[in-house]
Amino acid sequence: MFLRIALYRLLQAVPTLIGVATLVFLMLHLVPGDPVDALLGEMALPADREALRHAMHLDEPLLSQYLHFMGGLATGDWGNSLLDQRPVLALMSERLPATVHLASVSLLLAVALALPLGFWAARYAGRRQDMLAMGFSLCGVSIPNFWLGPMLMLVFSVFLGWLPVSGMDQPGSIILPAITLGTALAAVLSRMARSSWLEAMGSDAIRTARAMGVGNGMLWWRHAARLAAVPVVTMFALQMGAVLGGAVITETVFDWPGLGLLTIEAIQRRDYPLVQGCVLLIAGFYVLANLAADMLGMWLDPRQRRL
Amino acid sequence: MKAMSHTMSVLKLGSPAVRLSVVCLGIPLLVLLAAFLHAADAHAVDLDAVLAGISVAHPLGCDALGRDVLARLAEGLQLSLGIGVLVIGIGAVLGISIGLAAGWFGGYVDSLLMRLADIVLSFPGILLAIALAAMLGPGVDKLVMALVAVGWVGFARLSRAQVLSLKSTPFVDAAVANGSGLIYIGTRHLLPNIAAPLLVEASFGLAAVIIGEAGLSFLGVGVQPPDASLGTMIREGTRLMLVSPMLVVWPGVVLFLLVMAVNLLGDALRDRLDVRRDMRGAAQGAGQS
Repeated sequence: MFLRIALYRLLQAVPTLIGVATLVFLMLHLVPGDPVDALLGEMALPADREALRHAMHLDEPLLSQYLHFMGGLATGDWGNSLLDQRPVLALMSERLPATVHLASVSLLLAVALALPLGFWAARYAGRRQDMLAMGFSLCGVSIPNFWLGPMLMLVFSVFLGWLPVSGMDQPGSIILPAITLGTALAAVLSRMARSSWLEAMGSDAIRTARAMGVGNGMLWWRHAARLAAVPVVTMFALQMGAVLGGAVITETVFDWPGLGLLTIEAIQRRDYPLVQGCVLLIAGFYVLANLAADMLGMWLDPRQRRL
Repeated sequence: MKAMSHTMSVLKLGSPAVRLSVVCLGIPLLVLLAAFLHAADAHAVDLDAVLAGISVAHPLGCDALGRDVLARLAEGLQLSLGIGVLVIGIGAVLGISIGLAAGWFGGYVDSLLMRLADIVLSFPGILLAIALAAMLGPGVDKLVMALVAVGWVGFARLSRAQVLSLKSTPFVDAAVANGSGLIYIGTRHLLPNIAAPLLVEASFGLAAVIIGEAGLSFLGVGVQPPDASLGTMIREGTRLMLVSPMLVVWPGVVLFLLVMAVNLLGDALRDRLDVRRDMRGAAQGAGQS
C-alpha cells in the first residue's frame, strides 16, 4: 500500500517539474525588449547579434524554442554559459558540493539547537523558560540573514578576529555562514517541536499511558516524542528545500562559492542560460524535498496514506 | 461586517505580544518622526561630510557620499513599508479572487488554477522573486510584480480551502436560491466568513514581503540607487563595514524591529483567532529571510 501511494506521488511530481521547467523557459521572455540587446548592448554588430540569436535559438518560433529547451533538459544538454561558453551543467556541478556542505551543516546546526529548545519550551510551557525559548525563535524568524551575516562578521571576524571573514579556504570558514543560514531554520523548527510536543502530551494516548503508570521521563522522551516526531520530521524535510533559497543570500554575503553565489553572479552578468539552469536545479531539489516530506509523513503516520 | 468587527476587536491591547509589538514598532516610528523633524534631504550629496560621525547636523552620521543616514533610513523605511503593503494588497486581491473562483467553480477551473499555484510553490519563494526581478529589470514596479507573482499563492490556497468548506452550508445555499450573483455571494457571504485566516496570512505575508524586498534590494535586483531602501543601505553598509560599522547596523536594526513587530502582530492574531497555518508556508518563511 505504502509503495503504491509513494509511486503515485512520485508520478504526480512529474507534471509539476514540467510546469517548473516551462516557467523557467518563459522567464527569458520576460526580459524587456530583445534579450540579445540586453546582452550585447545596442551598439553590437549585426553579425554578432545574429550569431548570438542563433546560438540561443531565439531565431526560431516560440514552440520550437520550447521543444528544444525541454528536449535539452531531458537529454542532459542544459545549454552553454554565454560568457565562458562552458556547459551550464558542468559549471553547476562544480559549485554544488559547496552548497551541499553549507546546507547540511546548517540543517544539522538547526536540529541540534531546535530540538532541545523546543523540548525545553514545551516542558516549561507558559513559564519563563518558554518565553525565553520562543523569544529566541521569534528573533530568529524576524532577523534577515543578509543582516545577521554581516553582523556576525563584524563581531567575530573584525572585532574579535576569531573567524575568517569570507570564502571557504580556512578551517573555521563554515561556522559563520552555517549560523547565518541555520538560525531561521532553527527558529521555525523549535516552534514546531514545541507545539507538536505539547499537542502530543495532551493526547489520549499519553493520558492512557500515564494512567497505566508510565513515568514522566518515559512519557516525554518515548511516547510523546514519537507522536511529536511526525510534524517535526515533515517540517525538517520541507526545510531541506527552503534552505536552498536562503543559501542564495547567505552565499552572496560570505562569498561562499556555491550554487547560490553562482546564481547571483549569473544574474549580474546577464548570463541567462546559466540563470535558468541554476533556478531550475534549485527548484528541482525543492520539489524533491517536498516530495520527501510527504513520503516521510506517510511512512511515519499511516493516516496520511491517502491517494 | 460583523465578522470583520469581531476580527478587529480580538486584538486587545492587553496581550503581551501586542504590547511588545507596539514597543518594536516604536523605534521605526521614532526614526520617521525624527527624520520629519530633522528635515534633511536623503539625496543631498555633501563631500565634506563623507562618513561623518554622529553630530547635531547629522544625528546618525553620513554615508560614503555624505548623505544624511537618518533621512535615508526614513526614506528606506517608507519605501519598504509602502512596497510591502502594496504587494500584500495586490497579492491578496488577486489570490483571493483566484481562490474564490477555484473553490466555487471546481472542475477544470480549479485544477488549472491550483496547478498554477503548485508550480509557483515549487520554487523557494525568494529564489523565484530574485529570478523574476532580475529578468524583468530594474524599477520599483518590476520589483512589486516579482513579489506579487510569489505572494498571491498563499491567499489563493487558503481562500479556496475555506470556500470549499463553506460552499455547502445552508446560508450559501439560501443565497444561491435567492438568485444572488457570484460577486454578491463572494463579497457579502464568503469573504466575511474567511476574513480571519486571511488576515493572519496577510500579517505573516507582510513580514515576508518586507524581508523579501530588502533581500532583493540587497542583492541589487530591487530598489536601485540613489533611492534608499533598507536593503540597499545594508548592502552599501556591508562594503564599508571596516571603516564605518554603524552604516550597516542602523538599517538592519530598523528592519529587524519592523519585521519583528509585524510577526508579533501575526502571532497575536493567530492565537486570538485560533488559526492553524499551512506548514509549507512556515517552511517557506524560513527560507525567505
